[in-house]
Amino acid sequence: MTTKTAPPTPAKPPGENRLRRTFSALGAAQAYIGLVLILAVGIATKGDIFLNETNLTNAVGAFASRGILAVGVTLVILTGGIDLSVGSLLGIASMTAAMMLSKHSLEPWQIVPICMVVGAFFGFLNGAGTAWLRIQSFVMTLAMLSVVRGLDRQVSDNVSVGTQIAGPDGKLTPQAEAFQLFGTPGHNLFDRIYYPVLAFIVVCVVFHLILTKTRFGRHVYAVGGNPTAARLSGVNVTAITIAVFTLSGMLAGFAGPIDAAYSASADPQAGQSYELDAIAAAVIGGASLAGGKGTIAGTFVGALILTLLDNVLGLNAVSDNWQLVIKGLIVVVAVVLQRPDLFKFFRGGSRS
Amino acid sequence: MTVLTMRAIGKSFPGVRALDGVSLTVAEGEVVALLGENGAGKSTLMNILAGVFKDYEGEIEIGGQVAHIHSPKDARRHGVAMIHQELNLVPELSITDNIFLGRERTILDRKSTEARSAELLRGLGLDLSPRRLIKQCKIAERQLIEVAKALSQNVRVLVMDEPTSALADAEVRRLYAVIRDLTARGVAVIYISHRLEELEEIADRVVVLRDGTYVGERSEVDRDELIQMMVGRPLGEMFPRADGGGAGKELLKVEGLSVPGEPGTGRTPLREVSLSVRAGEIVGVAGLMGAGRSELLETIFGVHRPAAGSMSLGGRTYRPRSPKGAIRRGVALVAEDRKAQSLVLGNTIAFNAGLPSLRRFLRFGMVDARSEQAAVERQVNELRVKASGTRFTVGNLSGGNQQKVVLAKWLLTSPSLILMDEPTRGIDVGAKAEIHALMSSLAAGGKGVLVASSELPELLAMCDRILVLCEGRITAEFSREEHPTQEAILEAAMARQKVTTL
Repeated sequence: MTTKTAPPTPAKPPGENRLRRTFSALGAAQAYIGLVLILAVGIATKGDIFLNETNLTNAVGAFASRGILAVGVTLVILTGGIDLSVGSLLGIASMTAAMMLSKHSLEPWQIVPICMVVGAFFGFLNGAGTAWLRIQSFVMTLAMLSVVRGLDRQVSDNVSVGTQIAGPDGKLTPQAEAFQLFGTPGHNLFDRIYYPVLAFIVVCVVFHLILTKTRFGRHVYAVGGNPTAARLSGVNVTAITIAVFTLSGMLAGFAGPIDAAYSASADPQAGQSYELDAIAAAVIGGASLAGGKGTIAGTFVGALILTLLDNVLGLNAVSDNWQLVIKGLIVVVAVVLQRPDLFKFFRGGSRS
Repeated sequence: MTVLTMRAIGKSFPGVRALDGVSLTVAEGEVVALLGENGAGKSTLMNILAGVFKDYEGEIEIGGQVAHIHSPKDARRHGVAMIHQELNLVPELSITDNIFLGRERTILDRKSTEARSAELLRGLGLDLSPRRLIKQCKIAERQLIEVAKALSQNVRVLVMDEPTSALADAEVRRLYAVIRDLTARGVAVIYISHRLEELEEIADRVVVLRDGTYVGERSEVDRDELIQMMVGRPLGEMFPRADGGGAGKELLKVEGLSVPGEPGTGRTPLREVSLSVRAGEIVGVAGLMGAGRSELLETIFGVHRPAAGSMSLGGRTYRPRSPKGAIRRGVALVAEDRKAQSLVLGNTIAFNAGLPSLRRFLRFGMVDARSEQAAVERQVNELRVKASGTRFTVGNLSGGNQQKVVLAKWLLTSPSLILMDEPTRGIDVGAKAEIHALMSSLAAGGKGVLVASSELPELLAMCDRILVLCEGRITAEFSREEHPTQEAILEAAMARQKVTTL
């Protein structure tokens, strides 16, 4: 190696400093450890079945809609709020998608924006209730969870709507054919890329950039860290609050068609309890419900952990019931690992 | 008779030796003041005494017997009570519930505890119902309720950490009367304060710490000598502003500004306030607690909407609808409570300093991290913030350095008018002098400075003009040439009668 490895930089961010910065931007280290552990267990127990493209894309694909919800929930959590309604919003968006397809034969490229608008509309209401009516976001979104689920069941008459629509010739309509690309297993974009995986990754990258590189992103962290200081620094706290809830709703709307395509139908119960997986992914990834702390990269890793955990346990024939138990324990362990002070407490060296 | 002896106390935190071989003795009925810059180890020493820290080196003796104090409960058992700077009362509970918090019987006996707390309150000259909620009490009342809480547990040593930092003069008097009453009953008081003027009046002895070590003690308060002991070097001039210099043209004009108060929050209404600040001028705002000083600055900064009156800035109408609007017009507010109002404590220096001026660093809609970093670094170095880098977490800085980060953040917005609310509260003498020097140089650079402070000597030394507020009205204005005295200002600040009979 010659000495000319690094170009001279104006300030003095030495390599170590930059490394640390990159690393902290990637999220909590323990999340990666967890990911590696799960991969190791997967490979050790079911090497061939686990570690191949089909299994992994299917696993991530099955979780992708929840992963996308987790990105939106992370935005809300960063401002110090919570969004419990994303599961219901995903449900109504998937219902919207299926109805647009079956009743109006809309093209997929028309369906996705419509679903996003539907989600964003309810998300906006969440934000307005939180910011303008000063309702605690937990309460506001809990109410929305109930309201939207009710609407979903009402418009669908409690019957699920299939997306495999047959035309008069008995074959799938062209629209339904195209809709399958959104997530029906076995249908890939350009015969290669499984759309849910791609969508999840793109959403993560876009929102990672928004949070780390834009003024809006900084303001999100400031609102979560100290709303008073944010306001007195010229941040429009109301607008930021409404914006994060609207974006979270919009992402839930975006995830709706994926979920409908994956199940080949929109069930009135679709998305139920997805909000819990989304929140768990954010928390495992290092987000703090107190606000101001967390990253999209962390949430991405958190979502992967939950995904692969489901997959590995499933392959090893662990029952659904035990999967739930293990998932819950992992959330607690992840949170404890993020609190080094807890270890100090156990060792007896407390520090105020 | 000696009631407390702390011998060779030492304490280390990761990377810092906070205390090293410090000894302290206090006699019954004595008031000992602990003096030192931020980070000198005063609070660490007192936290050890109050059982906040589990492990430390050295030995504590109370009443002639070795006391093993390793938890707040131990401290309480030995008759040590501490009133922290940030008061430890639960706002949603009543006075009685707070006084007996943690010592309740399994089944609450409301009647007798309320009678007991009423008696304690009366003893302190507080005319409050024991059922009143803490959130309905004023700061000064809360302070005395903390004292009542300490008294309710047969206190022998009472530690007070900066008890007067949030109190107005009249309230300080009352606190002193209480302290004298306590010492007459044999209670030993350890008093931490940054206000040298106070020590003269209340302390029997002043013990000075510096960098975690004992420097010396004096029973006579000699201001210059004590400051020298604290900083370890003679401090040339505490208030460096010699003369007003030439003030430029009018920058801010406020006419007949009225703001309604807000019931419940205790916000003082402003009544027909008129004032002006010229470029290159430092204007002071004096007044007691609740006189409306903060409200005035906040209204100019767009936090509250005025009901009447008009403002102009740089000759143009100025009607800020939010702090955002004020910042765009080149106004900055160094708020009163830096932790609650100015800083995102969990985030870095760079994050905090860049927050209001991000607009400056935008390139294609993205924040250009490199130019932002460079600007923040330059500003932070200029103000001599002591930290390992701009990625340092603000919450771990000392008070003086935190305040410098707040100043850096506002200077980065290149303001023309800087509003400062208690800019030197709770920070050490060295940083204080630096902030005063900065104010002078800002004025010399043609900026307008409007500063509210409860420390009259500071205002008298720094300001070209001083406005006095009382109950939301301006009751007097003094120019530097008039050489106003503290007494004259206080008189105007308490011109309450005149106001209410009008």
